[in-house]
Amino acid sequence: MAKHKKRGKRKTKNSSRSQPPVSATAKRPMWVLVLAAVVCVGIAGFFWLKSLSGPEEKPQKTETHSDSMAGPGGSVLTQKEKIAALKTEEMLLTQQLLRDFPGSDATLAFVGSVYGQHGNNTEGVKLLNKALELNPNRPDVYNALGWVAFTKGAYEEGITCWKRALKIDARLPGLRSSIAFSLMALGRYTEAIEQLENNVQIFPKSVYSHFLLGQAYLQKKDYENAKKHYQTAIGLDQNYVNAYYGLFTAYSRLKQQDKAREYMAIFKKLKAEEMKALKARDKVYDDLVIMRRTVAQNQVLAARIYRAAGRSDKTEELLQKAITLVPENTICLTELAGLYSMTNRPAEALKMYNRISEIEPQNPACFLNIGVISATLKRFDDAEEAFREVIKLAPEDSSGYRELAWLYLNTKNSYDQARKLAEKAVKLEKTAANYYLLTCACDMNGDRTNALKAAEQAIRLDPGNVEYKQTYQLIKNGK
Amino acid sequence: MINFADVQECGVFVSRLCAATLAFLGLLSQVCAGGPIVLRDVTKETGITFRHTDGSSGRRYIMETVTAGLAVFDYDNDGDIDIYFLNGGALKAAKLKIPPRNALYRNEGNWKFADVTEKAGAGDTGYGLGVAVGDYDNDGDSDIYLNNHGPNVLYRNNGDGTFTDVTKQAGVENGSYTGAGACFLDMDKDGDLDLYVSNYLEFSHDKHLTTTGDGFPVYVGPAFFPPVPDALYRNNGDGTFTDVSKGSGVADHPNWGMGMVCGDYDNDGDTDIYVLNDGAGNILFENDGTGKFKEAGLMAGIAYDIYGDAQGSMGVDCGDYDNDGLLDLYVTSYQGQLALLYRNLGNGMFDDMTRLTGAGAGTVSNVTWGTGFVDFDNDGDRDIFVACGHLQDNIELWDDRSTYFQHNILYMNTGDGKFVNVSEKSGDGLKVKLSSRGAGFDDLDNDGDIDVVILNSRREPTILRNDSPSKGHWIQVRLRGTKSNRDGVGARVKVVAGDLTLIDEVHSGRGYQSHYGMRLHFGLGNREKVDRIEVRWIGGGVDVFKDIAVDRLVTLTEDSSKVEPKSTEEIL
Repeated sequence: MAKHKKRGKRKTKNSSRSQPPVSATAKRPMWVLVLAAVVCVGIAGFFWLKSLSGPEEKPQKTETHSDSMAGPGGSVLTQKEKIAALKTEEMLLTQQLLRDFPGSDATLAFVGSVYGQHGNNTEGVKLLNKALELNPNRPDVYNALGWVAFTKGAYEEGITCWKRALKIDARLPGLRSSIAFSLMALGRYTEAIEQLENNVQIFPKSVYSHFLLGQAYLQKKDYENAKKHYQTAIGLDQNYVNAYYGLFTAYSRLKQQDKAREYMAIFKKLKAEEMKALKARDKVYDDLVIMRRTVAQNQVLAARIYRAAGRSDKTEELLQKAITLVPENTICLTELAGLYSMTNRPAEALKMYNRISEIEPQNPACFLNIGVISATLKRFDDAEEAFREVIKLAPEDSSGYRELAWLYLNTKNSYDQARKLAEKAVKLEKTAANYYLLTCACDMNGDRTNALKAAEQAIRLDPGNVEYKQTYQLIKNGK
Repeated sequence: MINFADVQECGVFVSRLCAATLAFLGLLSQVCAGGPIVLRDVTKETGITFRHTDGSSGRRYIMETVTAGLAVFDYDNDGDIDIYFLNGGALKAAKLKIPPRNALYRNEGNWKFADVTEKAGAGDTGYGLGVAVGDYDNDGDSDIYLNNHGPNVLYRNNGDGTFTDVTKQAGVENGSYTGAGACFLDMDKDGDLDLYVSNYLEFSHDKHLTTTGDGFPVYVGPAFFPPVPDALYRNNGDGTFTDVSKGSGVADHPNWGMGMVCGDYDNDGDTDIYVLNDGAGNILFENDGTGKFKEAGLMAGIAYDIYGDAQGSMGVDCGDYDNDGLLDLYVTSYQGQLALLYRNLGNGMFDDMTRLTGAGAGTVSNVTWGTGFVDFDNDGDRDIFVACGHLQDNIELWDDRSTYFQHNILYMNTGDGKFVNVSEKSGDGLKVKLSSRGAGFDDLDNDGDIDVVILNSRREPTILRNDSPSKGHWIQVRLRGTKSNRDGVGARVKVVAGDLTLIDEVHSGRGYQSHYGMRLHFGLGNREKVDRIEVRWIGGGVDVFKDIAVDRLVTLTEDSSKVEPKSTEEIL
């Protein structure tokens, strides 16, 4: 039997919920674009764009005092004062960043987005342009500039920005659909169709692109193509309310009234649900809560800048602040856990993951990390329990089976179980890593033939992996 | 030597050239008949001292943002168009030395207006939002209906320059809603005007919320308040009205009503009702001819925008922008949304043509309110005016993409189905930057072009004189009903002048909670006579008038032309 390399510390996985949640309104074209932009720009971009909605339709519930912010002499601050204090703190942070990282395009882009999210687009745009002067290869910055232009009705300017972004990164999602949306705002539907057809070639599952194609073909009175793309959008997202409206319109124009009414009925039903969700959102609207979330998110983004510069102390300080503001912010907790793991503080990382698991008990990635870190800390029972939870939460994902198998192998406990788990992992995902696991499991069970077979598969799938080749040779040589 | 054949050929060529040149010149003169649109700010010289107040005290009550509309009409039948401004009132905690009141300004001619409010007895001190004007008692003068926050008011015109509040006896007080637009219409073709009252919401101080956005105090939207049904009152013909909201189908659609307009969208001879809603689908009440209505907005494609999204709809006008004989719609809305142009397809459906026509360009960062399809340059097609101004008075603090004070917008119809934003080239009237709400359009100086009156929130109004250099001909039509309602509200007028056919209807209540345009105005370009005017009265009768001279106001009386066309002299 070969002596398998005992797996050491491994990188923990990011939370599967690292993106901001998509609200019910995300089905609206503007918001779908916003969502697309989120992917491109990141969280900073999201907050930049969140101001699109404006607060006028969001009544605020009565003032909450759940936090412990206090004014001078321990006086209780009013909601307005709390918000003002948070904004001041945020602005101080941006100034600190600019001082600490002069000449950093990332910092300028981030600070620009902070200005933008507070409605100071003029200053925000200046900073974004400065970032581009330092580094013209920032598609995310062009994207953000494109959105500012778009929301001001400067569609041509937006198109120019997005085209520049596209030139830098032709595969960045959302850019072509943003260009197309602007072209449609200008009534240039033929050009929009060209952009969108290209986009769905690259991103065939882009619901929004298919919806926009439906809209563009509808305007061109090409109802068959319009229907086709609306149907595709609905196939990808059966609750896409605007696509049902498009289908209703297309069938109306084709004078197929029965079909039109059918889709109108679905549209009305979904629209009513959307309205209900919006009202529910409005009822719980609280500006202070939103401000806390915003500031916390920005602290996380600022922490990333410090972390990239190797400033772990400042990174930790900012992440801790963010958690104080929004204790349930799992993005922040994940970041902090990552920092602890990176700085060799697994016990503290584990604490963070345990908190995340309480907030998101259905998050398999979190339990996977708990398992991995527990194993590192030699808390094998806890690790086993965590990996079993992963299997329970994500039975079709091979990760839980794989990690549990490794745990059994590494703790020399139940080789037979480890092999069964490895076989299951391979069955679910035929990856090199899973075949390598199976290689080791078979070998530990004394099955040299199947171990070699599995190793061959691993090498075939990842021919550059030296470890696989060495293991294969060791088994083959009977060592 | 000159070859005779060449000369002959040359002559043919010359004559062809001349013909082509003349045709070109003709075309040119037709195009030039439009020319640029010039609107001059003449507010200061009018003597109008009215200043709007929203009655605010910093508590940010929702109705402060949506007040108010105005009316332009001839209250004293002297042939001049007068102006009636609505005003807000003192809301709780507001400290106002003099209680604000509405104001009636009599047009004295030469751009001078006199405040006759007290004398006329029309200075309602209620909190004004919407207004409609109509001769509900068919006695030959215009009455005023005020849709207020709180009890509404019906002013009966006494015919001697004064008004009497007859709300209670008429039965149109309409509870204590926060109102919006209002329209008179003859829904059941019985010859008298019924009344539609759009309700915004039901406000009470205990339901009021203060809120902030990004730390700044902001006004809440209507969605926090429960939607309320609008009201429809049938005219009993004896000076009283009966609330038929329930039986007519109107009460089945509670919402957050805003501006509205009534018109025969499907050309079936009765008046339909289009009501905007703030943040929810707009409603088209299709009339069955008897005053029973069914909702047809969604099927017609005018409940939502092109994407199927509800707008924060504000004001609306209807008019035939593409001269195809069908009433199209223009709808204003909130920031982040384009004001929308819906083209009537003639089969009960509309297309959102905003983007294809350019009719929404420049509106996305504005909040848009009053609007009108108006042929400002008398070139035979209708241009579009849009009144703008944010409702958040501190918007710059938390979103610098917009401003509280905004320039109004003017779109010129290019005649080929497109609109061009000409605001920056259309005189100092478009340079005024305030927070506009209602707007009214009529020929204030009787010079054959349409002028503009704008109510600005918390400020003085803006009066714009049309100084366009256009040499285009025009005709204005005033209707006199004899069997149908006195002002011909709801009547469809078709004007044929050479190759040009125009339509319009008499509306009572339109735009942003305003009233204007009882005298129909038709720009004719270079057409020097009107071949035919056809009036389809709301009762179904049709009168045809032929060979009418241009550049004048004509009064057409119902049944005055029975079968054969009359001579111009007889008609006029």
